[in-house]
Amino acid sequence: MDSRVRELREAQGWSQGELAERLAVSRQTVNAIETGKYDPSLPLAFRIARLFVQPIEAIFQPADH
Amino acid sequence: MPRAARYFAVSGALLLLAALGMRALPGMPGLAVDLLAALATGLLLVGLFKALGGEGCDDATPALRRRYLREFLPPMLGYVVAVFLSVWLLHRVEVPVLRALIALLPVPAIALAMRAIIRRVRDADELQRRIELEAISIASACVSLGYLSAGFLQLAKVIDVAASDAMIWVFPLTGLIFGLAKAVLGRRYR
Repeated sequence: MDSRVRELREAQGWSQGELAERLAVSRQTVNAIETGKYDPSLPLAFRIARLFVQPIEAIFQPADH
Repeated sequence: MPRAARYFAVSGALLLLAALGMRALPGMPGLAVDLLAALATGLLLVGLFKALGGEGCDDATPALRRRYLREFLPPMLGYVVAVFLSVWLLHRVEVPVLRALIALLPVPAIALAMRAIIRRVRDADELQRRIELEAISIASACVSLGYLSAGFLQLAKVIDVAASDAMIWVFPLTGLIFGLAKAVLGRRYR
């Protein structure tokens, strides 16, 4: 899955560690989501969307979209 | 090398030195020395896995890691003490019921350590939980398959392993393969 998490995080000026803390996950998880190695669960995707005040589909897109 | 890997490697090396030193002492029970050496080897291997896997191997939040170490290390220390006490007492007690109770002395400590591991997996974040559960699945499958194969070989009288040796090694083997699998799986998400 493609995601705009890195772009949105950098726009906020947050490090991966800071974003991880805000989402209550590990830095490794944030890194894996940003690099497309891990697709977050629906609850985590909602937390990310809520944090960046964006709809989920504006952050995550299927890889072949 | 990550700091946690250094801690495990140093404590494993110190325990191994202690075990080697004890082996040289006259009258020291062989089983106690062997169990200490096995624990030391386990710690060294955990250090190696952590060094190999880096952050990707074990990236729990700091609070969770602190709680885990607080819950895991005292029982392991208690286990070492209980093993020595149990071996020492077994040489002096003949009543079967008491011998059974004494032989099981190290079990509560290991049960507490297992509880710490389960609580750690349950409270880990979703990616870490996925890694841990996949690793424990691989470890369970490998150990089960190994024991099933060994069972068939033993039935066919190709090998002859003492039951006590086989039973004692279930937990260390599972832990060893779990650590190895976790290190490899963790690298996938780095």
